[in-house]
Amino acid sequence: MKLEGTHQLEAARERVYQSLVNPEVLQRCIPGCERLERTGENTFAATIRTGVGSIKGVFEGKVQLENLREPEHFRIVVEGKGAPGFLKGSGDLDLAQEENTTKVTYSGDVQVGGTIASVGQRMIQGAAKMMATQFFTCLGAEAETEVGEPPPQHGFFRTALRWFSGWIKGLFKK
Amino acid sequence: MNDNYVGRRVKRTEDPRLIRGLAHYVDDISLPGTLHVAFVRSIYAHAKINSIDTSGAQSAPGVVAVYTGQDIAKIGPVPCAGALPGLKVPDHRVLAGNKVYFVGHPIAAVVAVDRYAARDAVDLILVDYEELPVVTDVEQAAAGGPVIHDAFSDNIAYRLSSGEGDIDAAFAAAERTVKQRILHKRLAPIAMEPRGVLARYFPGEEELTLWSSTQIPHLMRTQVALMIGMPENKLRVITPEVGGGFGSKLNVYAEEALLGWISMQLAKPVKWIETRRENIQATIHGRGQVGDIEVAFKNDGTLTGLRYTVFADLGAYHQLLTPAIPTLTGLMLSGAYKIPAIQMNITACFTNKMATDAYRGAGRPEATYVVERGLDLVAAELNMDAAEVRRKNFPAPSEFPFHTATGLDYDSGNYEAALDKAQAIAGYAELREQQRKARDEGRLIGIGISTYVEICALGPSQAMPAGGWESATVRIEPTGKVTILTGASPHGQGQETSFAQIAADELGVHINDVTVIHGDTGVVQYGIGTFGSRATAVGGTAVFIAIQKLKEKAHKIATHILQADASRVAFEGGKFSRQAAAAASAAGTSEPVVPVAEAPAGALPEPETEGKSSLTLQEIALEAHIAKNLPPDTEPGLSATYFFEPKNFTFPFGTHIAVVEVDRETGDIKFLRYVAVDDCGRVINPMLVDGQVHGGIVQSIGQAMYEEVVYDEQGQLITGTLMDYAVPRASHVPNFELDRTETPTPVNPLGVKGVGEAGTIGATPAIVGAIVDALAPFGVRHLDMPIKPENVWRIIKGH
Amino acid sequence: MIPTQFDYKAPTTLEEAVALLASDLDGAKVLAGGHSLIPAMKLRLAQPQLLVDIARIKSLSYIREAGDQILIGATTTHYQLESSDLLKTICPLLPACAASIGDVQVRNKGTIGGSIAHSDPAGDWPAAILALDAELVLVGTSGERTVKAENFFVDLLTTDLQPGEILREIRITKPSGRFGQAYQKVPHPASGFAVVGVAVHLVLNDDGSCKSAGIGVTGVDVKAYRAKAVEAALAGSNLDDSAVTTAVTHVCDGIDPNSDLYASGDYRCHLAQVHTRRAIQAAKARVK
Repeated sequence: MKLEGTHQLEAARERVYQSLVNPEVLQRCIPGCERLERTGENTFAATIRTGVGSIKGVFEGKVQLENLREPEHFRIVVEGKGAPGFLKGSGDLDLAQEENTTKVTYSGDVQVGGTIASVGQRMIQGAAKMMATQFFTCLGAEAETEVGEPPPQHGFFRTALRWFSGWIKGLFKK
Repeated sequence: MNDNYVGRRVKRTEDPRLIRGLAHYVDDISLPGTLHVAFVRSIYAHAKINSIDTSGAQSAPGVVAVYTGQDIAKIGPVPCAGALPGLKVPDHRVLAGNKVYFVGHPIAAVVAVDRYAARDAVDLILVDYEELPVVTDVEQAAAGGPVIHDAFSDNIAYRLSSGEGDIDAAFAAAERTVKQRILHKRLAPIAMEPRGVLARYFPGEEELTLWSSTQIPHLMRTQVALMIGMPENKLRVITPEVGGGFGSKLNVYAEEALLGWISMQLAKPVKWIETRRENIQATIHGRGQVGDIEVAFKNDGTLTGLRYTVFADLGAYHQLLTPAIPTLTGLMLSGAYKIPAIQMNITACFTNKMATDAYRGAGRPEATYVVERGLDLVAAELNMDAAEVRRKNFPAPSEFPFHTATGLDYDSGNYEAALDKAQAIAGYAELREQQRKARDEGRLIGIGISTYVEICALGPSQAMPAGGWESATVRIEPTGKVTILTGASPHGQGQETSFAQIAADELGVHINDVTVIHGDTGVVQYGIGTFGSRATAVGGTAVFIAIQKLKEKAHKIATHILQADASRVAFEGGKFSRQAAAAASAAGTSEPVVPVAEAPAGALPEPETEGKSSLTLQEIALEAHIAKNLPPDTEPGLSATYFFEPKNFTFPFGTHIAVVEVDRETGDIKFLRYVAVDDCGRVINPMLVDGQVHGGIVQSIGQAMYEEVVYDEQGQLITGTLMDYAVPRASHVPNFELDRTETPTPVNPLGVKGVGEAGTIGATPAIVGAIVDALAPFGVRHLDMPIKPENVWRIIKGH
Repeated sequence: MIPTQFDYKAPTTLEEAVALLASDLDGAKVLAGGHSLIPAMKLRLAQPQLLVDIARIKSLSYIREAGDQILIGATTTHYQLESSDLLKTICPLLPACAASIGDVQVRNKGTIGGSIAHSDPAGDWPAAILALDAELVLVGTSGERTVKAENFFVDLLTTDLQPGEILREIRITKPSGRFGQAYQKVPHPASGFAVVGVAVHLVLNDDGSCKSAGIGVTGVDVKAYRAKAVEAALAGSNLDDSAVTTAVTHVCDGIDPNSDLYASGDYRCHLAQVHTRRAIQAAKARVK
């Protein structure tokens, strides 16, 4: 299933890029990511506890960064396997500087398997969009934080999600 | 026969227990100490298994054992009975070895004290998969790409061409031709009761009993005995009540052998009941063909040739009849028509999906569908009426037995009579007129017609992998009760009633005094089972002939006891009577049936036969057992066994007419009428026949409009539950206007042809034809199933 | 089809229920009718540690008039709403919506509160309560708060319910004036859920023009929503065929519609237009 969209962040491109490839930021922003441990130059082992509504599961897997071309492009691959099934998401991110903002263009693929694939087909697209929104909302908050300030709190994201999700939704196209 | 029961809508003896919830299905059977089995099944369509860590499961509470592919290596492969030249047969074992090749492929079996512990332990098993490229498209599988089975160099299981006549010449000389690509998507049989197995091994007696929801207890026994190394005569297979099969239980499944083997290892009863999700993943699928139909014809609509080139999606391995099903399609490509040249070219391929196999119609719905769609295309090309182009190509009744260019001899038929009757009931000419008017008003009404023939009552043993006969033992007990042991294995068809009807009429007894026993290899002589619409035509005939043998013996005993001349003793109304010379023959009188008297309590009475002029069958039965006054050279007892070998298949036929209206705004499809005239030869119980036609039409509606098993490109089964796989409900189904013609078959003395699959075969093309006809104003000539409202809306919108 | 192990408590008061939820914010889950939760548990997609069964709290199940409001307890079943003579008279949209849900067994057990709190993207109740501009009363350890329906449905299966909160009541302003209501649904042939569901609450001026319209749409987006652009286009119009047909073309404004195996986003929006139009026409025909 294809997933595409754009997101405007109120921060300079370099700062956005740094946030995107920073494992601490990634761990805070990949929805439900409880653990992200470096296992290689650009690979990490991950534990992701995520879901929508009461549908939740723990996924063990990995995150990989590829094709890094600072500050304009990279590719992220997230894979996880758990009781609900497995998921694989990959995305190419392109960053463009526009005055004081950065436009992040995202184009990716989501594959699911196991139980979620066989019973949840009608919701996979919506869930994937929701998680992508959470990721970028969080990322925006991180990138917009001044260097040296403490990172944004978890609770912020629920509120941010409510404020932003309606607006951001309009930016996503199939 | 005294036509007292046969031909009447006798209520089923099966129903009271079913309706009151008193029947016993596999899961209703409770044995003390039963352990429960749950499976770990692959979530990948194609992957290597690098390792399986079962330690967490083995130490989980309540777990007794965990088995994987290494443990079961000595169990023989899951059998395939389809023998075709050059067929590649993968070595498929009851649990995966170092590779999985479809989602649902069983990898490990957990045995625990209850279902809950077993299911929890499944989650503790860690499988290290290494994904491999997935093959899901059957045409791509044929063309090349990743090979699923390491033992083979490609994914083509076999290629086969069949048919008679010079097909190339027919197409070369054709005045006109049409060609159409046609898809038959995979369907899931969705029997109401999923599969289940209970196995109990007695180590002292070295006896294993398997209760299984199966259609073929004896055949399954033979195969499982070989698979697990059990002497066949120490393995007993019992089918309790079976909640539907539709062909999906005409098989030998891994779980049957594995449960038997596990019970032997643990010396405890073990049980496995399939969940619906497992049922959709790991019980066979039906259909799965994609191909081109080509028809050669003259300008006046006479057919001169037909060619079907098809890719068959077999799935990742073979179940019992997987490779054979597409060949059945080839047999029926002549349909109800005279076609001098026919050719079928099959390329059958492996894909990373569950195996396909027999599902109601088993290859014949595909044939009828492509032929009928072909006829509709011919009609459209020539601007001829769809019914008339069919009528033009029918063989006349005098041309039967009718030899087809597919190598068959149709037994009997009167296709025009069925068509005439259906058209009369439907008011066909008026319907076409109403359609014209409706089109002028912009309404989209469509009329579809299907004139089908199907091949059933499988069949002559020469043509059947495991034999095609059927067995019956009929006994009259000392108290006069009649017991029938049939090798048929009904699972909803109602032979406990229909065979009793036959016996009651033949023997002049009350139907309540006849008991039909089936589905227990410890009790019933070897039988082939129920599938292919064969139970009454083949099994019922065996019952009938066994009864004739019984009557001969009873007659001999009666003659002896009555001290009369054999020609002067006649059987009528349940009695053998000494006749006056003139009245020695009796046929077709309507004497009332003599009900069987209740047996007196206590000892059997001495037969009182001194000076009698007639003897009831019950008196003869008693005589036969007490054996004090039997004719010389006569064995005691009153029992006869017959194994009936049919000389041909039978060929039921009929005409279905569907009328639909399409909502221009939404593409919704509504039935306005549905007429079906089916000819299954002699009808034993019209209510049972109606029921079969109803069910068959409903499953056709399912295929035409709602059902498809969907795997995505990664081989993930997307339609994994009934939330997505749309089995028709009552609200989706129109009222049926059913009628019959009755053209008996010469193949068996009952004249019965079989009807279990005919509805599923005849209805689909009528339904699709009607929807296509509704959209004819938009230039539509064909639509692939399932036809959903969105498909229709897009066509209308495009104009 | 067997859930993971869980604890089960059946409190008899709302206070007890709130306390139980607070004792395990992550692992406790409210159980009402169970017809969304239990299937998810049987598939092991949901694995709550503690089920707090509120179906035994009698004080949560009621349908009553209070002044100019209709108050519905959260554990009122679909069947109770479907068969309520009171509602058939004063707010027929509610029984009409209830009658379209699932099947008889589901309606006997499922509750309006559970359906709203679960917020299935194809659930029926959210559309109806949006059309009626309902208010939802939520209760948690820090007390009660009221949320308007249009602010309650946030995203896929996600509502404004905070951890530890329970929805206890649905409040609807009693329809008054010249009003008509209708619920149009295209059921999925397998699941019976709404491929598209449109609830309309229409109020007319004395001259027959549209005073206001409440239109709730489900099945089209990841959550039910109010078709405000359609409502705005209808307001003041004479509700003739042309006005309605034009108005409904806005039913998917700002929405990225769902696409799934059964229906594409385009088709869903088309069905939404057709069925919004049909619902408005039906509602108009029912105005007294």
